[in-house]
Amino acid sequence: MNATRGHLSALAAIVAAGIAVAFGVHDQVTLELVFTFLLYAVLGQSWNWISGYAGNISFGHAIFFACGAYASGLLVTAGASPWLAFVAGALAAIVLAVVTGFPTLALRGHYFSIATIAVAALVEVTVRVVPWLNGANGFELPIRTGWGALEFADKGNYVLLALVLFAAVQLATIGLERSRLGYYLRALRANYAAAESVGIDERRWKLLAFAASAVMASAAGVLYAQDTLFVDPPSVLGLSVSIDIALIGVVGGLGTLWGPAAGALVYVVLAKGVALHIGGSGKGYDLVIYGAIICIIAALRPDGIVGAIVNRQRRVRGAAGSDALAAEPT
Amino acid sequence: MALRRRREARHLADARVEALSTFGQLLVAGLLTGLVFALVAVGLTLVYGVMDVVNFAHGEFVMLAMYAGFGLALLGIGPLVGLPLVSIALFLFGIVVYRLFVRRLLTGPPEASVFGTFGLLVLMQGLAQALFTSDYRSVPNPPFQGTVQLGVFALPQAALVEGLGAIVLTAALFAFIEYSSVGRAMRAVSEDRTAATLMGIDVQRINLLAFGLGSACAGAAGALLLLSNPAFPDVGASFALTAFVVVALGGFGSIAGALLGALIVGVLEVLGGYYLSPELKMMPVYLAYLFVVLVRPQGLLGRR
Amino acid sequence: MSALLTVSGLSKRFGSLRALDGVELTVEAGRLTGLIGPNGAGKSTAFGCIAGALKPSGGSVRYDGREIAGMPYHKVARLGIGRTYQIVQTFADMTVLEAVTTGALLHRPRVREATAHAEEILAFVGLDTKRHRLGNALTIADKKRLEVARALATDPALLLLDEVMAGLTPAECRDAVDLLRRILARGITILMVEHVMEVLMPIAEHIVVIAAGKTIFTGSARAAVRDPAVVEAYLGAPIEHGAIGMPS
Repeated sequence: MNATRGHLSALAAIVAAGIAVAFGVHDQVTLELVFTFLLYAVLGQSWNWISGYAGNISFGHAIFFACGAYASGLLVTAGASPWLAFVAGALAAIVLAVVTGFPTLALRGHYFSIATIAVAALVEVTVRVVPWLNGANGFELPIRTGWGALEFADKGNYVLLALVLFAAVQLATIGLERSRLGYYLRALRANYAAAESVGIDERRWKLLAFAASAVMASAAGVLYAQDTLFVDPPSVLGLSVSIDIALIGVVGGLGTLWGPAAGALVYVVLAKGVALHIGGSGKGYDLVIYGAIICIIAALRPDGIVGAIVNRQRRVRGAAGSDALAAEPT
Repeated sequence: MALRRRREARHLADARVEALSTFGQLLVAGLLTGLVFALVAVGLTLVYGVMDVVNFAHGEFVMLAMYAGFGLALLGIGPLVGLPLVSIALFLFGIVVYRLFVRRLLTGPPEASVFGTFGLLVLMQGLAQALFTSDYRSVPNPPFQGTVQLGVFALPQAALVEGLGAIVLTAALFAFIEYSSVGRAMRAVSEDRTAATLMGIDVQRINLLAFGLGSACAGAAGALLLLSNPAFPDVGASFALTAFVVVALGGFGSIAGALLGALIVGVLEVLGGYYLSPELKMMPVYLAYLFVVLVRPQGLLGRR
Repeated sequence: MSALLTVSGLSKRFGSLRALDGVELTVEAGRLTGLIGPNGAGKSTAFGCIAGALKPSGGSVRYDGREIAGMPYHKVARLGIGRTYQIVQTFADMTVLEAVTTGALLHRPRVREATAHAEEILAFVGLDTKRHRLGNALTIADKKRLEVARALATDPALLLLDEVMAGLTPAECRDAVDLLRRILARGITILMVEHVMEVLMPIAEHIVVIAAGKTIFTGSARAAVRDPAVVEAYLGAPIEHGAIGMPS
């Protein structure tokens, strides 16, 4: 299992580096950037399960992120432990995924994508209108500290938590690629007719992937809420949030293990990091840089950063002839 | 007693007439709005039909056109005279974008065009913000102020001109696609690219022209929209979103579908804005879309 | 010999066009049955209805005692029917081994066992040396072979083949016939739709001929060639009699 060992080593290295940063770095701005990177890598990976591996490109993934964020807001404001938000958010996310996925997952291509926009908009409106979700005001979480309250003055601990989530999500994805679900999703994406002919029930398997992806996004939402201490419709449910998540997944490479991390790196380091140095995101400079990078990658590496590498590896391996080793996904 | 009842009955009747005329007014306003959406959507669906690409930056082309129109207005050139100028400028812009960028995206997997055009969207919005700032730009001394009485309906002049302009241009485009040789070639490529190539059609050239034409539609729409909307960096986004829903509702690749979808969406949006609230105006649109694709996964008039 | 698949009174309308108007067909277990007919006879339509892709307008398709007409294809696959497509459907970006493993996963949910079974199937069809090639990097003959392998991996009792010989060279056809014989030797029943009769002659134990949406002959291949109705359908019928599906 050479490839798997490689991935696990890479993951271990990243976790080790993350721990070093969490304990060693004290500049809060840098820590916040690392935290954002990890969160977006998780969100990108969760999006990747349904849009990359399964091929249903979603522009409404923020709704699951919001499940966790709002769960946090609700529970903390109500005096409960924020740790429960992981469970509550996950449950809400699963229900939402099943309810919205059941009618839409069988839609093809762009029709599905537009449906996700429509669903997300409807969810946003519902959240604004339902009184116990505080409408347009959202939730402001009270400032506390400590592991019990899941809030910290030093961002280092947030980085640690995000690292745990990132590692869990990556391990789950490594497992996905080697599982029946993974094979079935790839088959559905590659050729629906052929997939059906070998007994794959599209709705059942895509719903499973959708629900799993929703849970991951929700967990990221909880951490986000505990960090920024503010949750409202535009910040967690807006179309731009969904678009950001989608772009990270696509730039990195659809259906690849490390694509989302690569995409998140581009987003955070180049767009946000550079923009901070140039001066202010109100001027649109971060958008110009980010947009230019995306265009360049799209033109030169249309499979995405990691996708280009993975596809080349597979083509080379295929041309090399037979291999005594049992095949494994790269 | 009888007098009061008669008066009440008359009030009820009046109220009903008023409600009906309000509804009718909204319907007409919705249709006019829909016509402008049609112009935007037709450009989008044309590009999709010919080269299987959804240009997610289409709204930004509209935004660019609005800024161009605004610039011309500052030079003293009115929006209506500016319209052909802006359309031509956007046509050329589309050609350049296709040559330099979109053409490359076509050689990659289908997702490449999604993320490439998204990148273009982000880039153009960023540039607009950086170059023009977020200020709202309205044409000074706009023409077509005031309302026009058409029977019982009072319509803003600007909306009427926008709608009429859109319908004329959409009809012209339709005629072009239907009767000109280039238009026929576009339809051929749209139906079966391989067969079209085998018949000697230069698909690259058709792609180029289609993209240019789609951009010109966005340009014309932008010039018209400037009559009653200010230009600002995010303006493209909301029009684009509606345009995408319109195209999907009508069926990707179908021009007639785009027109039908646009009228439906225009009416639903206006009705939603009035009977629900301005923030909720898109909700009936989204609900209608979801309902339609549940029953017809390929949209109203889409193929397959 | 028990009938594994029984088709009776199968009819299918597309609007006002009657594509099928009473097709009768029986497939005995363990044998290779051929379904043939001239162009426009309705073979593809009949195949589609049997395989579950198309919902028939009338009639029944009974497999192993169970009515399967109109059943979604993934359910039919679970019951033990595997199929190939006339225009070969590949998993373009999956390797040969991955594609067959996907099929094997139907009855072997664990990837390790599924992969092992897939390896065995690949050796059986002769694609094991190409196991890491990507689906879109194969020749047509290999793609068809892969499709058969993928279907075999689902442990079918009945294999439906849709014009699997189309586009193959004579040498490739001979290899294909050899593979079909070995599949039969494994106890798998085959129903083959073919356009050209001579391909089926050496292997089909039972032939059903359809023309203009109806079954016109059932019997051995040898008898089929001599049957006057069959000959007329293929060779001698004047065009205005509508034998090739054109309006009279």
